[in-house]
Amino acid sequence: MLETYRGTYFHPRTQFITIDASGNVLESDDILFPVTKGEDISTISAFFEGLSAYFEAEEDNDIKFTCVHLEDQNKREYTCDIEFKTFADATKPTLIIIHDFSDHYKYYQEVAQSRNESVINSQILELKNKYLKEKEDFKNTFIANFSHELRNPLTGVTAFCSVLQKTDMTLEQQDYVEVIKSSADHLKNMIGDILEVSKIEVGKLALNEELFNFHELIEMLEFTYSVKAKQKNLEFEVDFDKKIPKYIEADKTRIKQILENLIENALKFTSSGKVTFSMQANQKRARKVNVNITIKDTGIGIPADKLDVIFHSFTQLNNSKKFKGTGLGLSIVKGLVELMDGKIVVESDEGKGTTFKINMNLKYPINQEQTSLDKKSEIEKKNFLSKEKYSVLLAEDSELAQMAVLKILAQEGNFFLDIITNGEDVIESVIHNEYDLILMDIRMPGTHGDELTKMIRSLPVDNCKTIPILALTANLYDTDKKRYKKMGMTDIIEKPFDESTLLKKVYKYLK
Amino acid sequence: MKKASKKIILLGHFGVGKSSLIRQFVENTFTTDYKVTIGVHILKKEVKISPEETVSLIIWDLEGYDDIRKTRASYLLGTHGFIYVFDVTRPATFENLKDDITYLTNQYANTPLKIVGNKADLVTKTYLKENKDMFAVAPDFFTSAKTGDKVDDMFIALAKELVK
Repeated sequence: MLETYRGTYFHPRTQFITIDASGNVLESDDILFPVTKGEDISTISAFFEGLSAYFEAEEDNDIKFTCVHLEDQNKREYTCDIEFKTFADATKPTLIIIHDFSDHYKYYQEVAQSRNESVINSQILELKNKYLKEKEDFKNTFIANFSHELRNPLTGVTAFCSVLQKTDMTLEQQDYVEVIKSSADHLKNMIGDILEVSKIEVGKLALNEELFNFHELIEMLEFTYSVKAKQKNLEFEVDFDKKIPKYIEADKTRIKQILENLIENALKFTSSGKVTFSMQANQKRARKVNVNITIKDTGIGIPADKLDVIFHSFTQLNNSKKFKGTGLGLSIVKGLVELMDGKIVVESDEGKGTTFKINMNLKYPINQEQTSLDKKSEIEKKNFLSKEKYSVLLAEDSELAQMAVLKILAQEGNFFLDIITNGEDVIESVIHNEYDLILMDIRMPGTHGDELTKMIRSLPVDNCKTIPILALTANLYDTDKKRYKKMGMTDIIEKPFDESTLLKKVYKYLK
Repeated sequence: MKKASKKIILLGHFGVGKSSLIRQFVENTFTTDYKVTIGVHILKKEVKISPEETVSLIIWDLEGYDDIRKTRASYLLGTHGFIYVFDVTRPATFENLKDDITYLTNQYANTPLKIVGNKADLVTKTYLKENKDMFAVAPDFFTSAKTGDKVDDMFIALAKELVK
């Protein structure tokens, strides 16, 4: 019976073939690949061509090839292991044993297919990410450079509006100037937003920590936005936890920017009801207070499927002209909150309102009682100046900027102004004149302003080490600012500047 | 007419297009479906390298490895020439180019070798020119199994070298 079963169920999958030294078949059991006696073994497959090259004729050889794909005459594919046995005894023919392991290798093929595909896909994904990052970096650098170029002409517009407003004008003309000024301010803010986003995205925005009266900031916000809310017939409610320390060490400008942005947004998208601004202290630990900030409105709300994208750059859900903006505000807010190691989330019910929640730590000085701030306005310092006239050098090649500075300083009546348009002439002028202050453009033709500053500081002239040198620049990356300081610049006036910004800085450094 | 039979082997990482290069050369076909090669496939093509000389190329298409040293030694027996293939779009496939080529030239000093950057159709010629320093060893050919660009040239150049 066993033999009967064997006859029925046993399918031999191994073929034995013998060949002579020329590769011609001597014998074959033809189990897998039928082959005629005397035929070249390579008629089965090109695999067998040039076999003799594999063997040392002087000794017995046993060589195994695994996972070789062969086809029979009907083009059916087999995956086989093949053994060659050759013998030093020349009378013994070469033996070839072919084992058909197709089923086994089929499984191996599936495993390898899935493994390789997964590795290749992850490599491709990694490359795509790298490409996207490079593209993003390029975009941000482009934006930074572009906004820099826009800031320069805007300086002229803003500065001359201030100057123009002080001249005799009809009421109609005053209105026109006001329109120009407000448009320029709007443009300036938009450029600022774009630049800020690019700085956040390339990680070049640094926080500037300072000690300030936090309660005062909140009171100021409460006052400002109560007025704005009233103008829209809205209620503005502030729920401020007095346990939050009065003095905080943080980037005041950025914290103000976050809060203003969220409150402005809430007011913008609410037409009836109220906006609630709440700030609660959680635990205090190691000179840090953890706070929850909530800005809640009863406005138009955000559709559930759009909640994920509102923090993306250039996203504005409502594109109607009713709501102006670059769509960068929330992206900046999120970037700033995260830069401060905080978290921001949004909850919304379309048609009912939106709530933004921030959680962050704020650093505070332990001894709040003894903390005080000197609040004297820089511009007020002009009342305490020691000289009647101050000599100022303006190194600037842009005629528009020259005229702006000239007009602003001339109105004050406290200054003699020298203007130099080329980097090369600055040093000579500094040697021959005793200036009280230098306003230095960075991108000067010839030698750049920061390089010139370094040279001035090294001149063997008495006041060159101490003379205030203020950079006029639209390069606002922190790396640039640090470089200017390192080169010896005293402070930076950002372009575009207006009258009060320029005067504040100038008076700050005059003795 | 003179006729020689030569065994050549294609080596390189998986997914770089070794099988596609062979299929393009032997059958003039190309498919974007990736089917992993396990073990070895052997194909044959006769190449006329001059009016009076033909070479029968026995082309061994080996399973791709990320380490060339893992190649089964028995496959390499009696090899007359190597083609080392990498994918110009996947740095992982040419990160060890220098080491692999050094290994091959040390182990098989007198065996002709062609270094091939495949999938060149996926990048521009300018990209390849500007980024040639990415490849630690200068490739002999940039091929595209998809378009057939430089595929025949590469095999024929090797065939000619094998019968020198």
